Amino acid sequence: MAPIPGRPAASPRPGCRSRGVPGRELVAPTVVAILGALAYLAFPDDLAFFTRIIVAALFVMSLDLVVGYCGVATLGHAVLYGAGAYAAGILCVDGLTDPLLLIAAGSVAGVVAGLVTALVILRAHGLPQLVLSIAVVQLAYEAANKARDITGGSDGLSGISPGPVFGLFEFDLWGRTAYVLALVLLIATLVVLRRVVRSPFGLLCRGIKQDPDRIRAIGGTIYGNLVKMYALSGAVAGLAGGLTAVTTGVVGLDSVSFEWSAEALVMLVLGGAGTLYGALVGAVVFTGFEHYVAAVDPYHWLFVVGALLIGVVLALPAGLGSLAAWLRRLLPQGAP
Amino acid sequence: MTAALEVQSLCRSFDGIVVADNISLSLAAGDRVALIGPNGAGKTTFVNLVTGTLKPDAGRILLAGVDVTAVSDVERVRRGLVRTFQITRLFPDMTVHEHLMLALLQRAEKTGRLFASLDSFKDAGAEADDLIAQLGLAPVADVKVRALAYGHQRLVEIAIAVALKPKVLLLDEPAAGIPHDEVLRIIEALERLPADLAILMIEHDMDLVFRFAERVIVLAAGKIVCQGTPEEVGRDPAVRAVYLGSYASRDRDALGPGPTVGRGRA
Amino acid sequence: MNVLLSIAFDALAYGMVLFIICIGLSVMMGLMRVINLAHGAFAMIGGYIASYVAGPMGWGYVPALVCGVIGAALIALPLERLLYRRVYGASDPLVQVLMTIGLTFCIIGATNFLFGSAMRAIPLPALISGPVDLGVRTVPAHRLFVIACGVVIASGLWYLIERTSFGIRLRATVDNTGMAGALGVRTDWIYTATFALAVGLAAFGGAVGAEIMPLDPYYALRYMVTFLVVVSVGGAGSIGGALVAALLLGFVDTTGRYLAPNYGEFFFYLAVIAIVFVFPHGLLRRGA
Repeated sequence: MAPIPGRPAASPRPGCRSRGVPGRELVAPTVVAILGALAYLAFPDDLAFFTRIIVAALFVMSLDLVVGYCGVATLGHAVLYGAGAYAAGILCVDGLTDPLLLIAAGSVAGVVAGLVTALVILRAHGLPQLVLSIAVVQLAYEAANKARDITGGSDGLSGISPGPVFGLFEFDLWGRTAYVLALVLLIATLVVLRRVVRSPFGLLCRGIKQDPDRIRAIGGTIYGNLVKMYALSGAVAGLAGGLTAVTTGVVGLDSVSFEWSAEALVMLVLGGAGTLYGALVGAVVFTGFEHYVAAVDPYHWLFVVGALLIGVVLALPAGLGSLAAWLRRLLPQGAP
Repeated sequence: MTAALEVQSLCRSFDGIVVADNISLSLAAGDRVALIGPNGAGKTTFVNLVTGTLKPDAGRILLAGVDVTAVSDVERVRRGLVRTFQITRLFPDMTVHEHLMLALLQRAEKTGRLFASLDSFKDAGAEADDLIAQLGLAPVADVKVRALAYGHQRLVEIAIAVALKPKVLLLDEPAAGIPHDEVLRIIEALERLPADLAILMIEHDMDLVFRFAERVIVLAAGKIVCQGTPEEVGRDPAVRAVYLGSYASRDRDALGPGPTVGRGRA
Repeated sequence: MNVLLSIAFDALAYGMVLFIICIGLSVMMGLMRVINLAHGAFAMIGGYIASYVAGPMGWGYVPALVCGVIGAALIALPLERLLYRRVYGASDPLVQVLMTIGLTFCIIGATNFLFGSAMRAIPLPALISGPVDLGVRTVPAHRLFVIACGVVIASGLWYLIERTSFGIRLRATVDNTGMAGALGVRTDWIYTATFALAVGLAAFGGAVGAEIMPLDPYYALRYMVTFLVVVSVGGAGSIGGALVAALLLGFVDTTGRYLAPNYGEFFFYLAVIAIVFVFPHGLLRRGA
C-alpha cells in the first residue's frame, strides 16, 4: 500500500479508463455483422454450414450465461435447446408456419425448460450439481425418445416446413434466407446479452460466481437470481433450438443429448468462458474443425479435440479468445 | 431510546463445546464498542450468530427493537446489519469501483435490473467515486482487487460496508494481517464513519482498540468476563489473567489509558 | 419368480462390475478432489490390453487380467504426473471436467487407431464360460465369478484402508493433506500410489466386466457418466457408499431394462435425481 499523505487532492474523473466509453457496446456486434456479410459474399455455397455455426454460437452464449457468468456446473444444457427445437418443430408440424413466431415459441419453451432445470440442479453444488444436470438431460432424452408420437423418437421429427419470413422471404435451397435470419438473430442476441452482462444484474451474477456467501453478506440473494439467469439462458438456448428447427426442417434426439451439452461446454471452454465473444470464437473453431477433420475420420477428430482441450485447460485457462493477449505478453516489453 | 442492536442471552455450542455462553450486550446509535478476547474465545462465532450465518441454540437478537432471531442473514443485511470479514472476502475479478457499484446498487435494490447499462446509474457511479476518494483508493479504482495490496483490500472491505449504509456495523478484525504502520490508514477510515452508526469491532491490535473504542467487552471461552471503558478493562485483574497477561508484561504501555481521540463526531 | 431371480442375479453382477470400476474413482475423488471423467477410459485400456493378451497373444485369461491391470497403471502414471497433478483440488470443477473429457477423447482416438472400431471380446477359460447349476436355477458361471471378484475386492480394500499402515496414511492424507505431510507422510507418493491403485481397479473391472459392458472405442464415453453418477451417489471416498450405490443403481438399471425396455435409462436417472436430492453428499459420506 503506497503511503499517500492525507487525502488525494482530487479524485480522477469518474468514467476514466475502461468505464463508460460511449459506443463501445456496439463494437463486437458490428464486427460480427461485417464478418457475417463477408462470409455470405465469399462462400455462398457454405451458408448452411455457417448457419449451423451461428446456431452453435447462440447455444454456447446461452451456456456462457450460466457457466461463465454464474459459475453453475452443468452438462445438461441441451434440455433448454432441445425444448426450443421440439416446440418450434411440433408447432410447425401442427400448422403454425410463421418462422418468427415459431422461433419465439422455441424461446418461450426454452425459458420453461430453463426454469425446470434450475429448480432441480440449483439445489446442489459442485459434483452433485453436475450429476443432477446430467440426470436431467438424460431424462429429457429418454422422454423425447419415448414420446415417439409427438417427437418422432429416434427417427427425428421431420416435415417441418415453415412459411416465408415476414411472408416475403422463402427459405431457399441455398440457405440464404436461413443464413440471413440466423445472422440477424445472432447480432440482436449479442447486443442484448452484452447489455445484460454489463447491467447491475450481470455484476451481481459475477459476484455470485466468485463468492456467493459474500453476496449474501451485502444483502443479495443467490437462488432467485440464478433462476432468473437460467430463464434468460433458456430464452437464448430455446431461440437457438427454434432457429435450427426452422432452418434445417428436422429435429433429432441429439438436440436433447448429453453429448450436445458436453460439446457446448467444450466449445465454451475452448473459446473462453465468461466473455460472450469467447463463446463465439469457441463455436466457430470447434464447428469449423469438426466440419473438416471429422469429414476425414471421426476418431481423428476426437483426438484433435481432446488434445486441444487439454492444451487449453492447462496452458490457456482463459480460452482461445485470450490468445491475442497471451501472445502480446510473450513479446519482449518495449520491443520496437 | 431503543438500542440499535440488542443481543439477549445468546447461547450456542458445537458438539457439547460451548462457544457462546449466555452473551448479552446492547449497542446504541453512535456507540463504538470493541470486543476483545484470546484466540478461540468465540468472537467470530459471535459475529456469525449475530449476522445469522449461524443459528443460536437459545437467546434473541433485536435490531432497532425488532426481533430478528428467525430472520435470514440476507434480510438482516437489508435491515441495516452489516459485517466485514476477518480475512478479506472480495470478488477477485472485480475492480474496486465495481465492488462499490455492486454494494450501492444492491442497497438501492437495483441489482435485479437486467437491461440497464451500469453506466446509466450516474448517481451510484458518483457516490462510488466519492467513497473511493474518501478512502484514498482513487489511484486503484479501476484495478481488479486480486492485484491489490492487502492493505488496500482491507480498505475496500470497509468501503463496501459504508456503501451499504448500515445502522449497525460489525468489524471483524479490520486491521488483521496488515503491517503496523499501515494501521493508521484503517484508523483514519474508521474515524470517518458516520457518527450515528453503531459499531462493534473485534480486534487484536490494542492501539486500535484504545484509540477507537469507548467501551470494551472481553470475551473468554464464550463468556463475557468483563466490560467497561478501555481504562477500566485495562486495569481489571481478571482480564489480565485471561487475556492481557502476556501482553501486559511484554508491552505495558499499550495498556495505559490511551487517548480516545476524535471518533468522527463532527 | 424365475424372471425375478434372473433379474436379481444380473443386477448383482452388473452392480459388482460397476463397483469394481467405480471404487477406484471414488477413492481418487475423495483423496485428490479431482473429478476424473477419464476413469472409464482407463477401464477400457485394461479391457483392450486383456483382450489382446488373451486373444492374439494367447496367454490365457489370468495373465490377461494381470497384464491389463499392470499395463493400464503403467500408461496412467505418466499422465498423473504430467496432467492430473496440475488440476488436483482446482477450485473450478469445470477445469477438471474438461481436461479429463479431453483425455478421454484422446484415448478413444488412440484406441481406434491401434485396435480399430470393432467390438473386442476377451475369450473366457472353460471354467467360467459355461452355466452353473445353483439348484434353484442355472446361471452363467462368469456372472458368479464377477460377483466373487467384487466381494473379494470390497473386503480387500476394506482391509487395506482400515487395517494397514498404507491405509492409515491414506486416510490421514484424505482428512488433511497438509497435516499428514507435516507428520512425515509422503503425500505425493500416496497420491501416485492411490492413482495407480484406482486405475488398476478400473482396468480389472473393465476386463472382467467385458462380457457385461462390451468393449469398443466408445466404451470410455458410453459409461463415463454412469461411473461419475455412481461415485457421486455413493459419496466420494466411501467404499461402503460406492458399494451400496453401485448395487442399488445396478439394480434399478437392470430392472428398468427388463420390465420397461422402452424407457431406456429413464428410471436410472430418476433414481439418481431422487437420491441426490435426499442425500446431497452421498449415501454414506465419510466423516461428514
